[in-house]
Amino acid sequence: MPTNPYLNVLLMALFTVIFIIGCSYGLGSVARWIVRKRGGSPKHQENTFAGYFFSAPWITGFLIFVLVPLAFSLYWSFTDYRVTSSAPPNWKGFENYQTILFNDAGFRASIINTLYLTVIGLPLQMGVALFLAVLLNQKMKGEKIFRMAFYLPVILGFNTAVLLCWRLMLNTGTGIINQIIRSLSTAFSPFNYLNRTLIYVQEIITGFFLGLNTGKYNLLMNILEAGFPADNRVPLWVQSPLWTKMSVIMLMVWGCGAMMLIFLAGLNNIPKELHEAAEVDGATGWQKFWKISFPLLTPYIFYNLVVGLIASLQIFEPIFVLYRDNQPIISSTISMVYYLWQKTFSHFEIGYGSAISWVILVIILIVTVIQFRLQDRWVTYDIY
Amino acid sequence: MKQYFPLIRGAFLYTLLTGATVLMSFPLFWMISSSLKTIQETNSPGIVWIPAQPTLEAYINIFNNSDFLRSYFNSVFYVTLAMAGTLISIAAVAYAFSRIEWPGRNVVFFLMLSTMMIPAQALIVPQYVFFNKLGWIGTFNPIIIPGYFAGGAAMIFLLRQSMAQIPKELDESAFVDGATHLQVWWEIVLPLVKAPLATIATFLFVGLWNNLLTPLMYLQTIDLYTLPVYVSTLYNINQTVQPWPTIMTAAVLTTAPLIVVFFIAQRYILESVVVSGLKG
Repeated sequence: MPTNPYLNVLLMALFTVIFIIGCSYGLGSVARWIVRKRGGSPKHQENTFAGYFFSAPWITGFLIFVLVPLAFSLYWSFTDYRVTSSAPPNWKGFENYQTILFNDAGFRASIINTLYLTVIGLPLQMGVALFLAVLLNQKMKGEKIFRMAFYLPVILGFNTAVLLCWRLMLNTGTGIINQIIRSLSTAFSPFNYLNRTLIYVQEIITGFFLGLNTGKYNLLMNILEAGFPADNRVPLWVQSPLWTKMSVIMLMVWGCGAMMLIFLAGLNNIPKELHEAAEVDGATGWQKFWKISFPLLTPYIFYNLVVGLIASLQIFEPIFVLYRDNQPIISSTISMVYYLWQKTFSHFEIGYGSAISWVILVIILIVTVIQFRLQDRWVTYDIY
Repeated sequence: MKQYFPLIRGAFLYTLLTGATVLMSFPLFWMISSSLKTIQETNSPGIVWIPAQPTLEAYINIFNNSDFLRSYFNSVFYVTLAMAGTLISIAAVAYAFSRIEWPGRNVVFFLMLSTMMIPAQALIVPQYVFFNKLGWIGTFNPIIIPGYFAGGAAMIFLLRQSMAQIPKELDESAFVDGATHLQVWWEIVLPLVKAPLATIATFLFVGLWNNLLTPLMYLQTIDLYTLPVYVSTLYNINQTVQPWPTIMTAAVLTTAPLIVVFFIAQRYILESVVVSGLKG
């Protein structure tokens, strides 16, 4: 292999293409041979060859990169395999799983953090998405431009560069967000009270969740003892464990454009006659929204909820960029995938990491199945 | 009074929408504005909306920074190579699932759809061991080669749906004239699905350009870093003063291709999010 990394990968790509074409021919020929033995017509033989020839890239990729790795990781998850030692892995039975589920502070923290994002973050995110969708649904000039502006954050979303810009804006002392909050607080006293109330409520809720996390509620007690926040308080976005999750929620709300488009599609699917009929009966805009649009949007809300929940299990980049070096507070914000990465690649404990992967996989499968099951129960599908 | 209602309502709506747009685009504005500031201005306790004397110092610095330029090249290189292989293999597989009748097609198709439920991250641990055994750690291979095996079930599905809508008579008449499947695929079917291919290419580009996790795991040395990995090293908590103008300049240059691609392809993107997003 050449030492030049670019040449190296170009050659490897060429080799891969030849390998895939070889697999395609091989798989196609075997399939054609079987069909011929069974007495298929020449046309059928040719189609069989072509079908396997064209789908072979996916089939071989599925075997090499999905099925075999999954099987191996299932086996390793029951062992103490480490990639750094040459010793053969020892069988440990369900010990890894027991540790993860009952004795692992980091995993527990990641579950509680996901719960927080689901209970506090997703409703905020969906609320903003729905609000923007309703605004855009008014069908006016320039709608397209606004739609683009609201979707752009999804594209930029979790790019490291954009996250670093958020890191700059979220600085407690000199960040622009706190600067604005500070100057508004000094200028209008109602805003000052609003700001302090929000800080108080936020810190109490997060303190409670952090208590769930560690089992000790002293942080919550401290907040309650300190009482209503002082006059000049600002959020401590990336500085305090009480605020780390809220910063991630800000990013989620900023990237609500994908959810917004789903809601917009939902609003477009509502038959016009319904609103017209309600208007004849003298319904106000507010009533029309809550009595007609909202119930008909429940499938879309449910869909966004499930997708959002799965996404919050997998948040990686914001945590890496915002908190990577800040060891004392990182446990207040880690997601399951971040924890998997941290745990596996700090000590290269492949066995334990495999077990975490399987737990994540099973959780996501359960959520997906629940989605399919519950969908019919409380979601309104009338009229469709 | 009543005739003014639509006017007031319109003004109110536009105010709300403009306000939301300002808020949503603010990080971009702040990124550009900060890239033109001095370090003192980015760390000052007062608000500097737009620097009084914009300086291009950070841009000059970053264009003299060979690590940054190399990581930019690495990103372009890796994204191009990965996109080429992924797009062609996806197009081939989608053709097999939509235009050919072959025994076992439904089974394989169902299998492919069910892989959409497997999160990519559940596979990173065993794949890491596999690539480690191959000696691929510290090379570009692990972040490029897997795509060549038609990575991305959702994208195959999207393309298959569009290919299935092309009338069958088109390829049948070509077969009568003696064309092979390879010719029909390349010369008849692919030109007819340019729009969905463009959509897929855009999503692929965005995903690869933003990708942090796998490059971080596999690239290891600064010579190979792609942009997201390199840019993340610019911010370092051990520095007493963060070089914010430089970091934001790097950020502007990193996001620029994303924004350009988004504006070119926004029509496809905004339509397909709804189509593909709702099938699940």
